[in-house]
Amino acid sequence: MKIYFLAATVLLSMTSCEKNKLPKAVDQRAYAVESIGKITTVKNLPADTIIGTNAMGQPIGAGRFSFFSLETGQWIPNADSNSTRWDLAFAGTVVRVNNATSGPGAGGAFVFNGTFESLQSVSADSVFRLDNHPVTYAIPRGSGRAWYTYDGPTNLLSPIPGRTLVIRTATGKFAKVEMLNYYRGGNTPSATAPDSVKLKDQRFLHFRYTFQANGSGQF
Amino acid sequence: MAQSDTLLSLEEVVVTATRQERRLGNITIPVSLIQQKQIQQAGALRLRDILQEQAGIQLTSSFGTGIQMQGLNPEHTLILIDGQPLIGRSSGVLDISRIAVAGIKRIEIIKGPFSSLYGSEAMAGVINLITENPTTPSIISSIRYGVADPDQGWGVPFTNNSFQQTEANAEFSYLLGKLKVKHVNNLLFADGVSFRPYSKDRIPRPLHRISHQTSVQQYLGNKTELRILARFNQDRFQQEFSVRNNGILIDSYGRELNNELNVQPTLFFRLSDKIRFYTRGYITSYVGDQKLHFVQKPDSSYLDRFEQRFYRIEEQVDIKRNNHTITTGIGIQLEQANSTRYDALANRKQNTVSYFFAQWETKVGEKWITILGARYDHHSLFADAITPKWSLRFQAKPTLSFTASVGQGFKAPDFRQLYLNFTNTAAGGYSVFGTQDAIRLINELNRVGQIAELKPDFAKLTSLQPEHATGINVAMQYSPAPSISTQLSLFRNDVQSLIDVRQVATRVNGSQLFSYLNVKRAFTQGLETSFQWQLHKNWSINTGYQLLLTGDKEELARIKQGKEYVRDFNGSSRVMNSNDYIGLPNRSKHQGQLKIKYENVKAGYAFLRLLYRSRWTVANSNGNGVHDVQDEYANGFVQLHIAGGLPINNSISIQAGIDNLLNYQDVFYLPNLAGRTVFVTLRAKLDSKQLKK
Repeated sequence: MKIYFLAATVLLSMTSCEKNKLPKAVDQRAYAVESIGKITTVKNLPADTIIGTNAMGQPIGAGRFSFFSLETGQWIPNADSNSTRWDLAFAGTVVRVNNATSGPGAGGAFVFNGTFESLQSVSADSVFRLDNHPVTYAIPRGSGRAWYTYDGPTNLLSPIPGRTLVIRTATGKFAKVEMLNYYRGGNTPSATAPDSVKLKDQRFLHFRYTFQANGSGQF
Repeated sequence: MAQSDTLLSLEEVVVTATRQERRLGNITIPVSLIQQKQIQQAGALRLRDILQEQAGIQLTSSFGTGIQMQGLNPEHTLILIDGQPLIGRSSGVLDISRIAVAGIKRIEIIKGPFSSLYGSEAMAGVINLITENPTTPSIISSIRYGVADPDQGWGVPFTNNSFQQTEANAEFSYLLGKLKVKHVNNLLFADGVSFRPYSKDRIPRPLHRISHQTSVQQYLGNKTELRILARFNQDRFQQEFSVRNNGILIDSYGRELNNELNVQPTLFFRLSDKIRFYTRGYITSYVGDQKLHFVQKPDSSYLDRFEQRFYRIEEQVDIKRNNHTITTGIGIQLEQANSTRYDALANRKQNTVSYFFAQWETKVGEKWITILGARYDHHSLFADAITPKWSLRFQAKPTLSFTASVGQGFKAPDFRQLYLNFTNTAAGGYSVFGTQDAIRLINELNRVGQIAELKPDFAKLTSLQPEHATGINVAMQYSPAPSISTQLSLFRNDVQSLIDVRQVATRVNGSQLFSYLNVKRAFTQGLETSFQWQLHKNWSINTGYQLLLTGDKEELARIKQGKEYVRDFNGSSRVMNSNDYIGLPNRSKHQGQLKIKYENVKAGYAFLRLLYRSRWTVANSNGNGVHDVQDEYANGFVQLHIAGGLPINNSISIQAGIDNLLNYQDVFYLPNLAGRTVFVTLRAKLDSKQLKK
């Protein structure tokens, strides 16, 4: 088992939080990557966390993607965004793959309906979709479309159980990803929690994945 | 067979089950009865107050206070006033807080599908409000003051910080020659509690409700009787609330004004002891008008107007011969609506319905009664409906009887489902189109390149058809002693072609387009039981309980196929098991009540009511769209109400009580439940003798 704790890389977004008078509690150090056997679990990956609200009261972030390498299990600095060092990039509900308008890699993705465990292999005739960043994405945005639902009345976002993202990485290898939670600590706030909690705790992604290093589609 | 708070004589007469007067001892289905005395002793003002205390009725809190009977939605319960339907529903909900109980003599409740007599909406059951007939000359007047402070626990009378409620009621009965006349006037001024979804803020929101009811009765010769009932109801609210959509919070303020009028003349003609004719007319209108201003968008406002009219004429004939009674009826009705929610306020929508019903009741020996009935409804806008019903009563012993019934109910698509044309511009621009226009509107958008994707459900869009339900009910009533009565009933309803909102297309800007389809199938089943015991000449106990199980059949099929998922304790997905499944949302599995009453004609009465409702699902918090054990629940709760009254002299009495004594509150999921309310009522009655003095 290996555990990484990362801290300093995200101080930038912390300062922007303070500027917008959100509570200081945005604790980026909770970010963790943990591997057990073939499965790596990522916790509390900030994905363009909220820095304030717009005039309409809608939450807004700074527009910064968090780039992540499934191959190395590392959070990649934004300076490397134009490289094949990353496989997925996250900002709010947007997930980018490294290809086409999103990056220089050979990436791609599609959504598999079924559990993470039940996806044993990527069939040869699978069609991987590409991003048309910033308009449409291989993993579509929108409630109920790919990996999450958003409920207007409760203002909460939930990853849909039984949806597995099949990813072709920047170097053309395969991985499967399951999104687990959208909130800090991995706990979705109660429907009756105050708006302030729902705002400041959102966009902390939790997901698990299996990366196949040998280039085959067998997990 | 009936249940009520007090032991009822089998000689008690009810009308709803057969559309004619029948003794309870001859009824083939369970009937619940609420008498005027019980309404008054509970201190109830609105229909909501008294129905919340009935076993097997759960209240819902969106679009006003609605009722769920046998686990079906508010749109599936027909609410009648003297046998004629009340209109003015919002999203299928008839707000039962709108209906004053002043002037109501009796409430009859029958559960299970009953379209065979009453047509559309009688899928889950029928609630019939029977108004008072004019009596001998009298004046009855009462005034009530109540006060609550949900945050402090106890309200301080006549202060601005507390929620105050004043009700004044005046009833006059008099004779105009041979014409008997009765007026009931009711005023309610209250600091309604504002609703702010998912917020704990509350502010007093003044609401005024005015009700007037006039009934006129005249015998024309000894065979004919004319009765005219007119009711007018006006609600005026000051509104201040916040709504949120897609994270956008909008604070609005404004006013809402609702006017309802109904007039029903009935002519009753007794040709002989064996043949009777009823000619009934009914005219009713409902106009709801709302104007809102937005704090965040001062230059825009929201206007909502909904006008509905309903006209009906009907002829019913009852023929009695030996052990047979045949009831037949024929009628025609016209329903009209205009609304800003449709394409244009000026464009009137209308539907005509002509119908015929027949019922054959037979007494076989001393122990058996069977009723066979059916109704045919012909609709101008959608498919016709045929709804049969068969029911049976077996009096095994004087103390033991059984009833069984199987029947069908239907609900016609309403104007909203046919004509709604609504776009929410504030929240990303999603739209909902009624089915009459959806195909045309979406094809038009598609032609001009506005549609990104047509969903599979778009191909299934056709004209909407009525929803159908089949219900089975088996019940037993046992009275081991004259002072004890128990009832047990089992029910099951299977609902087909339920109308559901589905996404049919996506616009190029990503916003979603919805319409209505007859797609859902569901069931509700359960058990209802009650027990009444007059344990002493002054003391009585009444309890009731309902067990309710529900399910969406499509969801159950997908769970069986392993196509639904939940998360395990690590947060990882796994295939859902059938025991993770909860069923339809917003329904409590257990519900019950206990009522204890002391009553002494000279010394007055004391009445304690304990109500219980178990937890119910409110939000799908794990994102699978199916309600399961991992979802968010509203807490189960216990509510306690107490009231008591004292006669001061022959004409004056005083009543006091505390509603919601335990001050149970849930501002999120029970926004219509007021905090602990202390009230005092002073009532005076002058009858003809006193009036002569």
